[in-house]
Amino acid sequence: MSEQQDNAQLHAQFDRVWGNLPGIGALAAVNHTSVGLRFIVTGLFFFLVGGLLAMLLRTQLALPEQSIIGADLYSQLFTMHGTLMMFLFAIPILEGVAMYLVPKMIGARDLAFPRLGAMGYFCYLFGGLIILSSLLLNIAPDSGWFMYTPLSSSTFSPGPGSDFWLLGITFVEISSMTGAIELIVSILRTRANGMSLRQMPLFCWYILAMALMIVFGFPPLILASILLELERAAGMVFFEVAGGGDPLLWQHLFWLFGHPEVYIIFLPAAGIVSTLIPVFARRPIVGYRWIVLAVIVMGFISFGLWVHHMFTVGIPQLAQAFFSMASMLVAIPTTIQVFAWLATLWTGRVVWNLPMLWILGFLIIFVAGGLTGVMLALVPFNWQVHDTHFVVAHLHYVLVGGMLFPLIAGLYYWLPHVSGRMPSNVLGAWAFWLVFIGFNVTFLLMHLTGLLGMPRRVYTYEAGLGWDWLNLLSTIGGFIMAIGIAMFLLDIGMHFRFGRRAPRNPWAADTLEWAVAMPVTTYNFISLPTIRSRHPLWDNPQLPDEIERGEHSLATIHHGLRETWGSDAVSGRLRERVHLPSNSWIPLQAGLALTVVCLGLLLKSYWLALAAVLVSTVIMLRWSWHNGGHPRAAPLRADDPCDPPLHSRTLDGPGRWGMLLTLMANGSLYASLLFGWFYLWTAAPQWQAPEQGPLDVPLLLASGLGLSLAVALYHWLNRQLQRGSTSQLAGGLWLVALLGVVHVLLLVWVLLLAELSPTGSAYDAVLTVMLCYLLFHGALAALLSAMQAVRVQRGYVSVRLPYEPQVLQPFWSYTLGVFWLGFAAFILLPMAW
Amino acid sequence: MGLTRTHPLHLILGLSVWAVWFVVLYGGLSVACKLAPPDPAAGALSWINMLLLPLTLVVVALLAWAARWCWQGHADSDSLKRFMARSAACLYLLSALATLAVAMPILFLPPCI
Repeated sequence: MSEQQDNAQLHAQFDRVWGNLPGIGALAAVNHTSVGLRFIVTGLFFFLVGGLLAMLLRTQLALPEQSIIGADLYSQLFTMHGTLMMFLFAIPILEGVAMYLVPKMIGARDLAFPRLGAMGYFCYLFGGLIILSSLLLNIAPDSGWFMYTPLSSSTFSPGPGSDFWLLGITFVEISSMTGAIELIVSILRTRANGMSLRQMPLFCWYILAMALMIVFGFPPLILASILLELERAAGMVFFEVAGGGDPLLWQHLFWLFGHPEVYIIFLPAAGIVSTLIPVFARRPIVGYRWIVLAVIVMGFISFGLWVHHMFTVGIPQLAQAFFSMASMLVAIPTTIQVFAWLATLWTGRVVWNLPMLWILGFLIIFVAGGLTGVMLALVPFNWQVHDTHFVVAHLHYVLVGGMLFPLIAGLYYWLPHVSGRMPSNVLGAWAFWLVFIGFNVTFLLMHLTGLLGMPRRVYTYEAGLGWDWLNLLSTIGGFIMAIGIAMFLLDIGMHFRFGRRAPRNPWAADTLEWAVAMPVTTYNFISLPTIRSRHPLWDNPQLPDEIERGEHSLATIHHGLRETWGSDAVSGRLRERVHLPSNSWIPLQAGLALTVVCLGLLLKSYWLALAAVLVSTVIMLRWSWHNGGHPRAAPLRADDPCDPPLHSRTLDGPGRWGMLLTLMANGSLYASLLFGWFYLWTAAPQWQAPEQGPLDVPLLLASGLGLSLAVALYHWLNRQLQRGSTSQLAGGLWLVALLGVVHVLLLVWVLLLAELSPTGSAYDAVLTVMLCYLLFHGALAALLSAMQAVRVQRGYVSVRLPYEPQVLQPFWSYTLGVFWLGFAAFILLPMAW
Repeated sequence: MGLTRTHPLHLILGLSVWAVWFVVLYGGLSVACKLAPPDPAAGALSWINMLLLPLTLVVVALLAWAARWCWQGHADSDSLKRFMARSAACLYLLSALATLAVAMPILFLPPCI
């Protein structure tokens, strides 16, 4: 009895430390379960709105020569349908699922950067609502979800529609990026003790690949959106032919993001499939390593396909053939996975449950979509069906089959986790068959509509072209599918009230997320187990009870801190105790301030936007202030644990990994800018570069010298700190900050002396963006170093707290690298040409 | 820690080489066609094809060598190291095959038409 009381006390203590604040305080929640569920619910909301728009589109197309919806509104509706489904539904909901599941699967209590995830959610919610508001105001973007220039440029889209898209989507992408970074770091650095890469659940491999793809794949679009908005709002030239720009640059940058995006959506869904199939086949997955290899190969090859969206723009045949081959090649890793799934089902004892029904639908629809994908990879066929409904049918087969079906399978599968109840087989099965039949009636026929020549994005069509009955049936199919989705929602709604109580681990699964209590607690595990197997719950069915009784490690609360294990990225060996932040209002404040920035830019109230930028900066600096040895985080104490130590007492905690990943994303953005520079230089029809470069080279060299000195000094100070000497640390950091300021001032001088005309020529426009990019990095590095100096003086950074300067060091190195790379690309190379 | 056969970097190195080669292939082709387009009558025997082909073969040879090197390292290791080394070797090999596959059109198509 007393043991039970002790256990209950322990759980109560964990609840106090890990629980959300009551009432409105829930908005300050940062734990991954709350944030993940918010992403999922919000994603479902945007899915419903997107689906509603689709129904309006199908109603308009049901019969020829209808005018229920006019051409202008139709353009807004199909643009918003694509935008909502891709940016506000697919990515966020899958990231939400991953945020909810990953820590539970790897035996952690939370993600590595809880506040970042919470801020990402607010950016997503507010950004999504801003985009959606444009539709209510009848000023929505109307150039298609890929916003091709010049259609989306100010000449042909003078209204605010394109601005809503460019600013809103960039804002929402903050959440994709923050989610990706925290997922990667969590998977690599906070796994349960002993869980090596070899034992990691396949779902985590998929999420790792997806998140890395976001890190490298999203920046080209972020850059393109910034450039197009600068062109629209400030008249700078990037995509206008007249000033030396090129509209095709937009297409390259967009599809450099856009094609990997398809795989970014598919991979997590395939991760759900790879998790569910072994559970329902009652055996380990066939070919674990082959699947891992396939996922990694897909992650790379899918970046080499982007031009297959541009086969008709006039690219040499040989170049098209490269992309055609790569497009066919990517089918191979996909096929490896399909065969592994089939082999697992073939050799297992399959239990046909509701989630398996949706998986079956996935297999049929996705394989069909994959096959039409191989057809589209062939250049001559692609030319024939380009911009027809065949492509619309293909992409829906791939995306609905490859994402929606596995997602619903996963939602049903993990539903007991959230509700503590089992899903209904009757309503769920009805929903499945209606969606499955409705989907195929809509889109299978649409292949034929496309082959008969019906173009995409037309609001109506003449009667008698052979498309009438096909369109009518597609519309009927669409409504059948909509009824199926409504039934799914009804099922979910009723489930929470009438569902039968679920036992623990109701599907007899093998992965660790089923070891938590149901409904789940905010801390997941009261004690953290050591994992030596890919199937911890199959190997030890008693594990959930052992965890619950606190029999494993870290079953104590240390000075009220939220803690989880930090482990080695490869072996999963224990390395440190990661202390995590508690409930905080800062993510909401940051999200709101960034919303004002977005609105200010949209309304062209630039002073308001600037003020909001300053407020956001202050909020984020305050955020970074409450870290490490700060009294609100983990101040130094005599009884600090040593084996393993708190991560802020080491040289290499999760924050440093987060910094490195942020810099990778930043590097991808910079590489995209360099690509834009070289592309315009070599391909823009009216590109003009002056004989004599406009920048003052000696002054630029002096600026670079200041930066180099700052970085060298910073590295030296850091080495001294690692050796245990801090005598010159504070003064040295002030000097570093001063050198950074000198570098920035000289760069500003270079910019002012150059008298660039970014509204007159693309050359000057790109150069201006590059200089501003360098200025931003120099200024931020100087500011952060000054903050570090103050923190040394306050005792938050010391020999025992050497962590933060290690986190900042890669940022300085990056700033130095991009400066000299920029110097080579913008000064030296044109000189040598 | 040097770049041993079981280093996790090998899981992405081969495909990174493939990606860089792909960019050089496409970018190089575009720039070459802009600067000095060969006579279309030369077909697939143009100077551009003749430059891209050996470049490709060098990359394939490098990747194949790396695959063999990683594979040789796994025999006496523990299960995790064996997993890493074998996976890395397979990925190098797949990168080599991907390079060969994508490069095949160099044998048949003229470069700038």
